[in-house]
Amino acid sequence: MPVKAEFDLTSDGSLCRGTLLFDGRNLTAAVGENQIFSSSLNTGDELCIRTCSGCATLEVTPENVSDDMSDCLTVCRFSMTQVNKIGEFAKVVNHWLKTGEETEISTQGFRVCPKCGRHYAKGLDVCLFCVEKSYLAKRLFGIAKPYASSFFFASLLVLCATAFSVMLPVINSKIVDNGLSAEAISRGTAAHDIVFYTVVLCATQIMGQVFKMLSQRRANKISTSLSNSLRTQVYDKVQRLSVSSMSGKTAGDLMKRISRDTETVKNFITEQGMYALEKLVMFVVVFILLARISPLLTVLVVIPIPFVAYIMRKFWVFIHIRYEKQWRSESRANSILHDIVRGIRVVKSFGSEDREIEKFASVSRKLADISVSNEHLWATTFPFLFFFTGIGEFFVLYIGGRAVLNGTMTAGQLLEFNLFLGYLYQPLLWMSGLPRRLGELTTSLIKIFEITDEVSDVADSENPVPAQLGGDIVFRDVQFGYKAYEPVLRNINLTVKQGEMIGLVGHSGAGKSTLINLIMRLYDTDAGTITVNGRNIKDMSQSEYREKIGVVFQETFLFSGTVYDNIAYARKTAQPGEVIAAAKAANAHEFIMKLPDGYNTLVGENGLNLSGGERQRISIARAVLRNPEILILDEATSALDPETESSIQDALARLVKGRTTFAIAHRLATLRNADRLVVIEKGRIAETGTHRELLMRNGIYANLVMAQRQTAKLTK
Amino acid sequence: MSGEIKSQTISPETLAAEYVHPANCSFRTAENGFLSAVINGKEYKRVILTRALPLNFPDDYICVTDAEKNELGIIEHISEFPEEQRKAVNSELSQRYYCPVVDEIISVKDKMGNFYFDVKIGDFKKSFTVKDISRSIRQVGNSVYLTDIDGNRFKIEDYEKIPPKSRRKIEPYLY
Repeated sequence: MPVKAEFDLTSDGSLCRGTLLFDGRNLTAAVGENQIFSSSLNTGDELCIRTCSGCATLEVTPENVSDDMSDCLTVCRFSMTQVNKIGEFAKVVNHWLKTGEETEISTQGFRVCPKCGRHYAKGLDVCLFCVEKSYLAKRLFGIAKPYASSFFFASLLVLCATAFSVMLPVINSKIVDNGLSAEAISRGTAAHDIVFYTVVLCATQIMGQVFKMLSQRRANKISTSLSNSLRTQVYDKVQRLSVSSMSGKTAGDLMKRISRDTETVKNFITEQGMYALEKLVMFVVVFILLARISPLLTVLVVIPIPFVAYIMRKFWVFIHIRYEKQWRSESRANSILHDIVRGIRVVKSFGSEDREIEKFASVSRKLADISVSNEHLWATTFPFLFFFTGIGEFFVLYIGGRAVLNGTMTAGQLLEFNLFLGYLYQPLLWMSGLPRRLGELTTSLIKIFEITDEVSDVADSENPVPAQLGGDIVFRDVQFGYKAYEPVLRNINLTVKQGEMIGLVGHSGAGKSTLINLIMRLYDTDAGTITVNGRNIKDMSQSEYREKIGVVFQETFLFSGTVYDNIAYARKTAQPGEVIAAAKAANAHEFIMKLPDGYNTLVGENGLNLSGGERQRISIARAVLRNPEILILDEATSALDPETESSIQDALARLVKGRTTFAIAHRLATLRNADRLVVIEKGRIAETGTHRELLMRNGIYANLVMAQRQTAKLTK
Repeated sequence: MSGEIKSQTISPETLAAEYVHPANCSFRTAENGFLSAVINGKEYKRVILTRALPLNFPDDYICVTDAEKNELGIIEHISEFPEEQRKAVNSELSQRYYCPVVDEIISVKDKMGNFYFDVKIGDFKKSFTVKDISRSIRQVGNSVYLTDIDGNRFKIEDYEKIPPKSRRKIEPYLY
């Protein structure tokens, strides 16, 4: 049995390397040789983690713990880095104490890099600190691979376009040396030569432009296709992520990954990737051509390049930090602006316009100061950098000019050399901007891989059984927590008959919505099983299972589109007659017919604003159209005023009839008609029975009812 | 309703009734290490302390709750209590809040959107990772609070007083 874990804080907050050990009977905690805790654990004892701020403690909760929890025992203290590991340790020990079964500590969710000891980023199987650049390069090639042949062809076209464009210096040199030479003038062929070279120059430039156009068209095709494929891949994965994965990301974050990050990767592949071959070939070819004209001048031109590259690199690091500051300031200003615009009604109702104007003006001023300072720096230093980059040109003019005068070089060759220099600097400038673009690319790639590589924690079975839900729903020893170390539901045992309506009751945070989430299989249980009609819901296909469940939430989200589309969202194949029938059953038909375009009225973000009651009726109509076997009403009428609620109750009563229903309601009176009420308290089922039975018991439910009656009296 | 406005604001006087002070409350550390309290004559064998304004007023406005998080009262100023009780209260707070003070920033490396900090905390070298840096770094006055990907917290007491080299490393992320 022995199970071990490490903790890293002493009780006074010093860092330490402590060891937790449970041998099947005794739990000990020690720092080196010094034992700080030792106790034998009994069957009913439980290990609990209490999270604080930046740290947590492990406690032993005895079987019959007092209400004030004063007889708990503190075992050890640890930082948040250890909380998942010790949470798993506690789970293994608790399972052993409860069942006598041995399990192993799961490392899922806190895998650590064997090289540096840092945690892997969520969803990735690599340590971002230690990851080799080749890993990302391989994956980038993997993304570009389907387009390899088109890509290569486009690169060749770019190369051809460049080949024609580099003819310019050669032909210019020929014009100077042949067309304008004293010999050609004396021969009388000068005019003819000039016309000839002009025509050749024009032809090469036209050919260059034709190849450029062809390469551009090919690049656009690749770019559109790649962008579409990447976006679809990420979006597809986002749709399939489990709720627990989604809950850790904001809508804005996910949208950025689908649109902006995929765009960055696409831009890099199509813009930088395509030109990489051209720039490389251009650099080598131009270098050879220069060396052919004058090896000495070539050496003089090349010598300053490493120094300039070094200075540029240092300058980039320096300016990058300053621009980072500017970017953050900009982001802050945008965030304040966004906040104020969204909350404009609150600002106006509190009459705090002046305060908000000053707040924004202050960050805006700060941003302007940073921007001006950066622009000054850029404007001052860039000309110098530019000067140093092209310092070789002065050597060329001086030494080359002398060579022309000495007759060791022709004027045409000097002109050709000078023009080629521009072609040599082009790839260098391109390369100097590459680290920044590579930085942007790797950040975006990682953000995309975090989504695409994530293994769903609610996985489908390889051989799913058909989802036939007509039957009892049985919860057996169900245990669950959103975090492994904080159980929300414990020991849930409940059998719900087919067609029975269950009202879930309890204080806020007791675990009612969590139970609903488990029924919908938005999360998987940590322990125990949920079976429907004798089959474990984990063995069913999630989509098939959820197709047979209908849900009415407290807040109804209406998609941008027509009322008809929003109702038919539940079943795309529904006929108009069925949609109208569903709306009638939901008491929605009447108000829909009063809308300007009836069922064709646009609603949602760009359409008509409906009231809470109207939206809720559309939600009920959706559920009716779905004709679910299991129905979930999660605070379906809580946001409505009593009058609207009573008008919806009829519709709900029709919907509930004959279906297995789980309902959570803030107003307990709305659950009176439930066949059975299940009271959940601190994650456990505390009471079950009918409204009358529970009132007679005078327990938690009776207290809740009394409290609501008191409140109702006070508000009258 | 002749222009009379009935104020429903909770006045400081009303709120004062919620405060616990040496006259109606005493604290001590029990044998098992938990903080216990006697409030208005009633004994609570285990109480939990939570700072209402942990960043602005770490020693004032401390909520006292029982283990079930039911509020029993608010300590307005810890300094009002006798030294022995202050010690007990501070000891409980130091158990609940762990935020080591960073003395020096050795390096901050940006790798693919994650920021890897190497810092010195006393004589210890500590490495931690910060993601989503604009949300994970908070500046309150001259103090800077950092939260790493695991939920650990670190504090730079006064960023103007840390070595200039360290300051330059953190400065781009402050606003």
